[in-house]
Amino acid sequence: MTRQTDQATAKVLAGMIAPAQDKLRWAAILSGLAALIWPAQAALVATALAGLLTDARPLWSHVAGFALLGGLRALLNHWAEGLAFTAGQRVTSQCRAAIVTREAARSDGLAAGPLAALAAEKLDALLPYVSRYAPARGRVMVVPLLILALAFWQSWTVGVIFLITGPLIPVFMALIGWAAQAASQRQMAEIGSLNDLLVERLHALLDIRLLGAGEAVATSFAEAADRLRAQTMAVLRVAFLSSAVLELFAAIGVAMVAVYVGFSLLGLLGFGSYATPLTPAAGIFLLLLAPEFYQPLRDLSAAWHDRAAALAVAADWAEWQAQSDTPLLGQGAAAARLAGRADIAVTGLQVQLGPRLLSLPDFQLGAGQTLALLGPSGSGKTTLLRLLAGMLQPDAGQIHVAGQPLNDQTADGWRAGLGWMPQQPHFLNASLRHNLGFGRGGDLAPALAAVSMQEVVASLPQGLGTRLGEGGGGLSGGEARRLTLSRALFSRPDVLLADEPTADLDALTAATVTAGLMALAETGCSLIIATHDEALAARMDRVIRLEPLV
Amino acid sequence: MSALWQVFQLIWRDQRTPLLRGAALGVVVLLAGVALLGVSGWFITAAAAAGLAGVGASFDVFRPSASVRFLALGRTAARYGERLLTHDATLRAFATLRVRLLQGYLRAPYDRLSRLRGPQMLNRLTADIDALDGLPLRLILPLIAGIATQLLTFAVLWALLGLAIAATLALGFIGGGAVVLIWAGKAGYAPSRRAELAAQAFRSRLIDLVQARGDLAVYGQLAVQKAAVLAADHRRQTARLAQDRIERRAGFVLSCLGTGLATAALVLGMVLAQSGQLSPALAATGFFAALALSETAAPLRRAVAELGRMSLAARRVVEGLSAPGLQTEQSHTGQNHTATSLRFDAVTYHRFGAARPSLPPLSFTLNPGETLALAGPSGAGKSTALLLAAGLLPATSGAIWLGNHPLPDWDEAALRAHLTLIPQRAALMAGSIRQTLTLSSPDATDAALWAALNAVALDQVIRAKGGLDFQLGPRGAGLSGGESRRLSIARALLRAPAILLLDEPTEGLDTATAREVLHGIRRHLPRAAILTASHRPVELDWADIVLRLT
Repeated sequence: MTRQTDQATAKVLAGMIAPAQDKLRWAAILSGLAALIWPAQAALVATALAGLLTDARPLWSHVAGFALLGGLRALLNHWAEGLAFTAGQRVTSQCRAAIVTREAARSDGLAAGPLAALAAEKLDALLPYVSRYAPARGRVMVVPLLILALAFWQSWTVGVIFLITGPLIPVFMALIGWAAQAASQRQMAEIGSLNDLLVERLHALLDIRLLGAGEAVATSFAEAADRLRAQTMAVLRVAFLSSAVLELFAAIGVAMVAVYVGFSLLGLLGFGSYATPLTPAAGIFLLLLAPEFYQPLRDLSAAWHDRAAALAVAADWAEWQAQSDTPLLGQGAAAARLAGRADIAVTGLQVQLGPRLLSLPDFQLGAGQTLALLGPSGSGKTTLLRLLAGMLQPDAGQIHVAGQPLNDQTADGWRAGLGWMPQQPHFLNASLRHNLGFGRGGDLAPALAAVSMQEVVASLPQGLGTRLGEGGGGLSGGEARRLTLSRALFSRPDVLLADEPTADLDALTAATVTAGLMALAETGCSLIIATHDEALAARMDRVIRLEPLV
Repeated sequence: MSALWQVFQLIWRDQRTPLLRGAALGVVVLLAGVALLGVSGWFITAAAAAGLAGVGASFDVFRPSASVRFLALGRTAARYGERLLTHDATLRAFATLRVRLLQGYLRAPYDRLSRLRGPQMLNRLTADIDALDGLPLRLILPLIAGIATQLLTFAVLWALLGLAIAATLALGFIGGGAVVLIWAGKAGYAPSRRAELAAQAFRSRLIDLVQARGDLAVYGQLAVQKAAVLAADHRRQTARLAQDRIERRAGFVLSCLGTGLATAALVLGMVLAQSGQLSPALAATGFFAALALSETAAPLRRAVAELGRMSLAARRVVEGLSAPGLQTEQSHTGQNHTATSLRFDAVTYHRFGAARPSLPPLSFTLNPGETLALAGPSGAGKSTALLLAAGLLPATSGAIWLGNHPLPDWDEAALRAHLTLIPQRAALMAGSIRQTLTLSSPDATDAALWAALNAVALDQVIRAKGGLDFQLGPRGAGLSGGESRRLSIARALLRAPAILLLDEPTEGLDTATAREVLHGIRRHLPRAAILTASHRPVELDWADIVLRLT
């Protein structure tokens, strides 16, 4: 990644977090305030302990103050953490909502796997960054400066120690941060490739087993999993090393303070403070402050690693946002059917498909008529069906349905009277009953009987309650196809759009499907069927042959 | 919870030594922290006392200051080592778990395998296992280290400061910590479980939305599905917020507990110092040690609040690991079987709960060099017979003989070496043509690969595309349906099985190519016994014997 894209990504990340800025500011303020309480607690304890040395009366009020302030600090932290968490949640849930809203309004996009990974998992990587980085920055702004001032007030030597060792920490943090970012990019890439590998293997599990390649595949997977482990460890090693280095710096600083304070208190050093020798209370106070001087810097550097992960997510997000949209007409919501006869008129349709401009023939189809679209692969049969269903918008030309132009307002009502048979059935992760009827009441039996699927469904493990694999696993290709037809029948459509309803079917099954389609046409439903099957096309009232693209 | 324990045992068995070392280093880290603060508190206070008494010059400053430095550096090094060891061990154990899960899927019974949904399997192998890293890293190892540190500190403080302070701290931290953590674990269990379930629902609903976008739009369900996806995220965020609130409350109480116990140690120390039973320096030691002991309980709060999510993941992982394998898996008698013939002896298959048998009694004998085609309408049991012959389904009655041994006596490896089934929907994976072909026979030469491609009339196609290094996209994209079909046949031919089972081998091929492929198969494997499920005349013509199922 170059510096410039780095900055662009940082800008994207800032944009993603913008809606939570208010909460984050408060979280930072509260967290800073909580950290400021410690010096007061330290002063109380230091004077109480010093009191023991001078045989004065015990300072019980200081002890009580220490405890109360401790409670207050815990409370402020509790609030700050809560605000930071809800801020993080707001960021992730807004991003998710944006993804879902956009994906539901367009007709094509990223493959489901990477998209789900971005929405469901990767966005979660923003949470630690949002909820830790801002509060840590809030603390870094105030705490070290205040402690530095307090140190100079008590002893300039301690102040100088802080002044010298403190700035080294951010310098190291930046150096290590770059290494961490490179390593976490490699790790992300490895996670991606392992997932791709797994998706492929899982899809072909049966074949792998039948070919006796199980062991070989398991071995290559083990190697890939081990590579991922190595990459993850590389990231972690940098993170651990950086926190160890920071801890070391802090420890050296604290040890220097302790040694100076100890020698001063013993009267062995006559310099460095304004009261000579240093008073016991001041000594203990400085010792208690020392670790807290470094702590915010260490917290920030830990959050720096979260930032590296968040930047990787922001890059993915930017990529998703940069995709071009092919919007869907309407909302895809349930609606009342369009009034009027379901006539269709198509004039001058043109669609840009990548580099090619596809021109489609004009035609009119009266309600109840049947039409076959014939043509070689790539001639635009499926595209035309998608245009007619309002899943795609033409770049030129018009479609009139039931006497009205097909547009955002009419699309849902038009589709309420449509039936749809896709080429590749996809079954939702729900019962077969839901997949066929989408929760609408009614008896599915006639729709299943019309395609001779009653017995097959009855022989499934839980009948209509069965959850099928996403491509219809558990059924043959023909059976899955017949189910999509029975789903269309169940919705009692005025027009059925079918994409290759008999492709890859044996003659008998193809005949069953054809009979089902013709029975539907008998009831007055229009059919528009994209097909290679001349026998099926011959059964239609009309045939349109689409020209192959040059 | 028992699943969590089982998973931990698996991790433990896999990585016992590094985990033990990591745990030991974890104790060192915590103890060094306690000692560091205790010694430096003692040192400063004792130095102040000596300074006040005017005996500073005779005070031994070197041993305390050296031990402060030693403890600071030792803690840093130990923490680095502990993190590296435990993370590496956990990741290694997880890599093993992932491989075992994949092997479990490879052994799963056909019925289950065909209905598994890809995204869910992927979830098991990735997200579920990742969710478990908190179990060793944030729960069990820190718990062990925390308790050990508390007990050791108790013993040392008892010796140095007397029973009162030592017992107060030990009882307070162990007892109080246990109460808070058990409360957080119980209260957080349900929300963290809900959050995880909602996250998975979000994921699978989003995948459905994207993959079935067109179907959903036509049936007016897109808006419903969108609302369902968003509802899942809302549920997830609500549950996560509840979980986070519990975690923060636990953090608040633990923080107050730490302050309270430090105050108690200070008060007891002051009282004992006032009465002369303890020097002021030792009194300070108790307070400083108490401050450091807070570190033993604080990190546990997050893991405890995540128990619900982790146990859900653990249950699924354990389920995946213990899924029953094939009966052939347990058999060890068949190591040296050889076979060249296949015999069905009144074999039937009746799916559990189904109204009628999927395969009525079937008998035949198939000898080397013979081709037998099972013909009949869809649903007559052709594919079922092939699945039975391949050992993927258990026969309900009757017996299948492979050579002189009944099929269940064959172990998986030997069975696959002798018999290969090409299922109806053979799956290809991303990779080069060479990788695709050598999946089944890693040692095959290029000449052998070309010979197999030639047998299925695919050599010219592949040559035109650029030869064996031509890269297939995901799921074998880049080839037409018929080409994919032929490539999957070539892949099986390379195994040179004694018995070849083909399910509608020439589906999607034109008659001339189909005939060429069929004769190519026989030419390539002249002595193989070939069993096909066929409905095309070209396949039935090619077979020596046709058996009609009804």
